[in-house]
Amino acid sequence: MFSRTSRTGPTRSSEALRLVKVTKVYGSAENAVTALDGVSLSLPAGSFTAVMGPSGSGKSSLLQCAAGLVRPDGGLVMVDGERMTGANEAELTKFRRRRIGFVFQQYNLLSTLTVAQNTVLPLKLAGRRIDRARTQEILTQVGLGDRLGHRPDELSGGQLQRVAIARALVTEPSLIFADEPTGALDLRSARDVLRLLQEAVRVHGRTVVMVTHDPVAASYADSVLFLADGRLAGRMTAPTVDAVAERLAHLGDAVGTRDNDMPMEV
Amino acid sequence: MFALAMRSIRQRPGRFLATLVAAFLGAAVTMTFNSMHDTAGATNIDHASSETLRLTGGVVGGYGTLLVFFAIASTLTVNVRQRGEEIELLRCIGATPAQIKRMVVGESVMVALVGTLLAVFPAMLGGQALLGMFQDSGQVAEGVDYAFGPIALTAGFTVTLVASVGAAFLAVRRATRAATGGRAPRNRLRNFAGIMALVAGTGSVCATFASDAKNPALMAAPAYGAIMLSVGFATFSPTLLRVLLGWLGRPIAARAGASVYLTVHNMRQRSVQLAGVLMPLVLFTGLAAATLYMQAIENDAIKASGLTKSVEAKNLETLNLVVVGIVVVFACLMLINSLYAATSYRGQEFGRQRLAGATPGQVLAMVGAEGLVLTVTGVFFGTVAGIAGILPFNLIRTDSALPDQGLGIWLGIVAVAAAATLITSLATACRTLRTPAVAAVTVAA
Repeated sequence: MFSRTSRTGPTRSSEALRLVKVTKVYGSAENAVTALDGVSLSLPAGSFTAVMGPSGSGKSSLLQCAAGLVRPDGGLVMVDGERMTGANEAELTKFRRRRIGFVFQQYNLLSTLTVAQNTVLPLKLAGRRIDRARTQEILTQVGLGDRLGHRPDELSGGQLQRVAIARALVTEPSLIFADEPTGALDLRSARDVLRLLQEAVRVHGRTVVMVTHDPVAASYADSVLFLADGRLAGRMTAPTVDAVAERLAHLGDAVGTRDNDMPMEV
Repeated sequence: MFALAMRSIRQRPGRFLATLVAAFLGAAVTMTFNSMHDTAGATNIDHASSETLRLTGGVVGGYGTLLVFFAIASTLTVNVRQRGEEIELLRCIGATPAQIKRMVVGESVMVALVGTLLAVFPAMLGGQALLGMFQDSGQVAEGVDYAFGPIALTAGFTVTLVASVGAAFLAVRRATRAATGGRAPRNRLRNFAGIMALVAGTGSVCATFASDAKNPALMAAPAYGAIMLSVGFATFSPTLLRVLLGWLGRPIAARAGASVYLTVHNMRQRSVQLAGVLMPLVLFTGLAAATLYMQAIENDAIKASGLTKSVEAKNLETLNLVVVGIVVVFACLMLINSLYAATSYRGQEFGRQRLAGATPGQVLAMVGAEGLVLTVTGVFFGTVAGIAGILPFNLIRTDSALPDQGLGIWLGIVAVAAAATLITSLATACRTLRTPAVAAVTVAA
């Protein structure tokens, strides 16, 4: 069933994502807010990383800059060993849709398309061949093999998020970004979604970056990056729910006393 | 709730712009033509002058008023439909359906009143200019003074208020019912109204045969008929379009690119919302075809009768076309207005498509393909409605089955309809696409 995992497109770099001194400032002049303050990090291919931090710490900005949804004001973003460039949105979109899949808190499915149509939309937009059997296979994997013809308004939140995961997997991207994927789900659906993301890493060899504020969700990842005030504020490997919660609770202390630039090697 | 309605207007004037523009233009056109009745009502006016003025007020003013009514109603329907999220929010914080209804209806009353008040002065100027043209062409005596009185005001306020309140009430009823989880009403009222419009249109067109060829108001019945038929067709065209796309959609979507694929699926699912945009398009095409051709036939018939070959006759021809032209231009502006309103609210949908990997070009191509399908559908039904008005008029007026006028006017109308539809939707979509995709999906437009 998962024999296709080795067929992951062109030569894949061992480093899935690299950020070098990425900065992002919103607003201008006196009321400017620095969302990202020179963030540098590197994530190996086939890793599952959670990004955590209090509200306003820059989690979402980090994800959006890394995913090419928002243009950073400074610094360098490299996906799959290639520098993210694009003079305009069209080029950036083309770069993105070859390498990156998305899962959002609000699903962002198109209400006019069925489950199967939503899933294959990225392929359709990229002008790639659509393999019906493969679509069926992916949707069966996420547990929706019998819902191909349903429309989003006929599904529950958990099912919608699983459609979104299928849509992110279908293009066989090297990177999958998930922005609070369990934020709107009940406990059981959340667990299903997190297991699917884990599976995407372990079985399919994708790299997953997940922004979350939930220590339980973060505990499914291989490692957790902590973010505070737009800077990296620590890293934890093999996270447990309690350890993550504890670290999160004391993140404020570190920020308060921080004067040095916290050299982060991740 | 009234206070909330006022605050809602004050905080987001841009949201009400489309409705305000519709109410303003509609009231201006209605009052301009209806002030001819007021002018004709003066005590010391001669018979010929009064006749000309009453005829203009009755014929053009009459079908113009009908057109204004439907144009305002369709713009408002588009506008209220877009506010589902706000209505849902109000429901969640404890507003009863009746309160929500009062708020939305209250808002539209305010907007209609403001639009009509703003239109009073321009309508006076327009009416004065119209009277001036009649006097220049010798149809109205020089001594007649312009009057703007109760008939113009009553017509202006009644038409805008009834159209606004009626449309707002129906649209919000639909929205609140859908929000409370019950299934949305099954368009029974709408289908009934559509059938009634078709019946009334057919009746009105048939009434042409009962008139005398020399009757100066001969044009009224077929023009009314063309408008009612346009409304009826516009009500049912989305359903027909959905059926047609159901047959042709799959093979087209399979062969064409991603943009056309999205277009086909979008239009099949959103066919009910499309009615709001198709209405002004069908109305414009139907009304423009009917009135411009009928005026051309009338002009040629006068010429052929050899009664007059004077300069005045030429003036008269031009003047009649100008009068008809005002109403046609109004229909075109309403088309642009409601298309703008409908497209500018689709930012969230465009954002989702972009996040799924659509380039801005692909989104624009989709909007363009939609515009093309809309134009073809609207022009088709509008032309059918127009022809239904033209043929009886031509038969009675000239005793020949088919009019001599060529396809020139029709091609012009189609060109204007296509240009207005495509340019408006593409330009609006372009503007909407300037918002980054992530921001577009989270911020409710």
